[in-house]
Amino acid sequence: MKFFNLLKKELKEMLTIQTIATLIIIVAVLSLAGSALTDVIEDAVEEGSKITICDEDNTEFTQSLIKTLETVGGTENEVTKVTLESKDYAKELKRLDITNVVVFPKGFTEQVQKGEQANIEYVGSMTSLSTMSNVGFDSETATEIIKNAIEAQLYSEKIAAGKMTEAEVMQMDSPILVDETTVVADKSAKISSEILFSLCKMQGTFVPIIVFLLIMYSSQMLLNAVSTEKIDKTLETLLSAPVSRMSVLSAKMLSAAIVAAVMAVAFMFGMNNMTNSFTMGADASQFNEVLEELGLSLSAAQYLLVGLQMFASVLIGLSLSLVLGALAKDIKSAQALVMPILFTAMIPYILSIIIDIKTLSPVFKYIVYAIPFTHTFMASENVMFGNMSLYWGGFVYQIVILAISMTFAIKVFTSDKIFTMTLSFGEKGKKRKYKKA
Amino acid sequence: MENVLEVKGLSKQYKKGVYASKNVTFDIKKGEIFALIGPNGAGKTTTIRMISTLLKATEGDAVVMGHSILTEPGKVRENITYLPDEAGAYKTMTGKKYLQFMASIYANDSAAAAEYVKTASEICGLGDRLDDKIGSYSRGMTRKLLLARAIMSKPALAILDEPTSGLDIINALDIRRMIKELASQGMSFLLSSHNMLEIEYVSDRVGIIAKGHLLETGTPSELLEKHGAANLEEVFERVVKNSEIL
Repeated sequence: MKFFNLLKKELKEMLTIQTIATLIIIVAVLSLAGSALTDVIEDAVEEGSKITICDEDNTEFTQSLIKTLETVGGTENEVTKVTLESKDYAKELKRLDITNVVVFPKGFTEQVQKGEQANIEYVGSMTSLSTMSNVGFDSETATEIIKNAIEAQLYSEKIAAGKMTEAEVMQMDSPILVDETTVVADKSAKISSEILFSLCKMQGTFVPIIVFLLIMYSSQMLLNAVSTEKIDKTLETLLSAPVSRMSVLSAKMLSAAIVAAVMAVAFMFGMNNMTNSFTMGADASQFNEVLEELGLSLSAAQYLLVGLQMFASVLIGLSLSLVLGALAKDIKSAQALVMPILFTAMIPYILSIIIDIKTLSPVFKYIVYAIPFTHTFMASENVMFGNMSLYWGGFVYQIVILAISMTFAIKVFTSDKIFTMTLSFGEKGKKRKYKKA
Repeated sequence: MENVLEVKGLSKQYKKGVYASKNVTFDIKKGEIFALIGPNGAGKTTTIRMISTLLKATEGDAVVMGHSILTEPGKVRENITYLPDEAGAYKTMTGKKYLQFMASIYANDSAAAAEYVKTASEICGLGDRLDDKIGSYSRGMTRKLLLARAIMSKPALAILDEPTSGLDIINALDIRRMIKELASQGMSFLLSSHNMLEIEYVSDRVGIIAKGHLLETGTPSELLEKHGAANLEEVFERVVKNSEIL
């Protein structure tokens, strides 16, 4: 009985209204991410069955191969034939409004008939660093489908002829050699999209982590600073001293921003060291050249652009924490009050790692875009892939939100509200109460 | 004698018709110790917070050394110090660092700041413990440090909310003597307390406040005589019971 009472008391203390609210929000966030993910996977599966072919060889063999492609692998594939007008693949993909194309170059049939490994070209575009953005008709899928189609063709021809030479048997093992080109924004380079994705994955994963940690730490720091000052009544002492409230406010925000910036530099330094240690075994300079050629290696100006949005997000987080810190009645409520900031940062953080937010359904997309932190999570990708209108649109939106949240924070800090406004959790009948001084 | 503080019809309304403090009027002269007495929730702290420029008055005004709390709050803050009830200090700082930090805010130059720290170090009597973190201090030690901070700059008006709360009898007596001594040197005090015996001993004049209304002011002896009471507690009881406002 004694133990039961102890257990009941502990559970009551742990299962507070804020804990339950946290659980509900986690379930909602994960459900939202899952729902968004389902749409993306469905789209990817649909995209995977679309094959775009440019038949420069245009022989009976290639035409028959294209026919085979429509049904190869036991699935119905939607094969579209296109004509490329130039070797400027970035321009051609844009003109034809396609994301990839398989090219049968001139002499392809001749190579096959000679029993040689036949060259094909695969041109694919990379639009995001998120994991799910690369699910679909990539080079590996293309190679596999075409290999199967050629094998089917060769088998039927050779078996019909009644014999196969040793070279032909070897050709069966590896009938084609894929020459890959990847397009990024308006640039293209001879590199596999898979290798490119692996090279950039670090950036795609770590930039969101840094952004998330920055928002989380700086917000938590300021919220604690304000709530502790209020709870300990040091704020009353400070604000009755001959110093303006704006100076106190600015000092608090600036110090949190400086610590956040120091943390960002430390994270970036650590990340850079880690990335370098991963690529040391590979021919790093060769890859670096390709990354630079494609604009996937951020320049100083691009880092500055990413930094701008990072700073905007940190300031938004800080101004919100300032208001929330002023609402705290005690340490427990201060810890709970940081949750709204964490969750609004967590939603775009998780989504940006898994999927390309741009490809979400319009409703989901605009809900996620409405979270000001989203644009910072997308900043490096937007800059790298040349989505500058999305970058600047996001930045302007962040500035508007920052102006609103800062105005509100200043209003709270420079008015009586800093002392009178409290948010009490678990108090029946009253969500917000104005404390009588 | 010149007035250091003039409070004129000061009111604070939180909701329509709900006043935490209503039409409070009194003044404090140079070198005078004025105390507001009343139970918890009487409106003492609200009145003090308005005079300290922390809360905005909804009606009336208070003038500190010729500066209005409504139009010149910055100038008012240059002439006052405020010690809130149950106030804390930055726990990660040492006592000395705290005094240096606060002195840097009140002083106009480093020499004055150093002088303030020296004065405060003497007043608080914490000795070597000033080099320890405030987090390791007892409640009484923290209160002495904060009191020292409040009077180190010798402001025109020191506003002390429950100045001796948390102090033992010996330390409380020391503080009361110190307040009297500083007042004799020309510093003015606005005190708030529900310890009526303390107020009777230390104050020159007393204001009785209840439910936001300042019911009566006078010297302790005037009030005792007027109400035929043995002590201020009895005066308070009779004033509150006889009041038509409440």
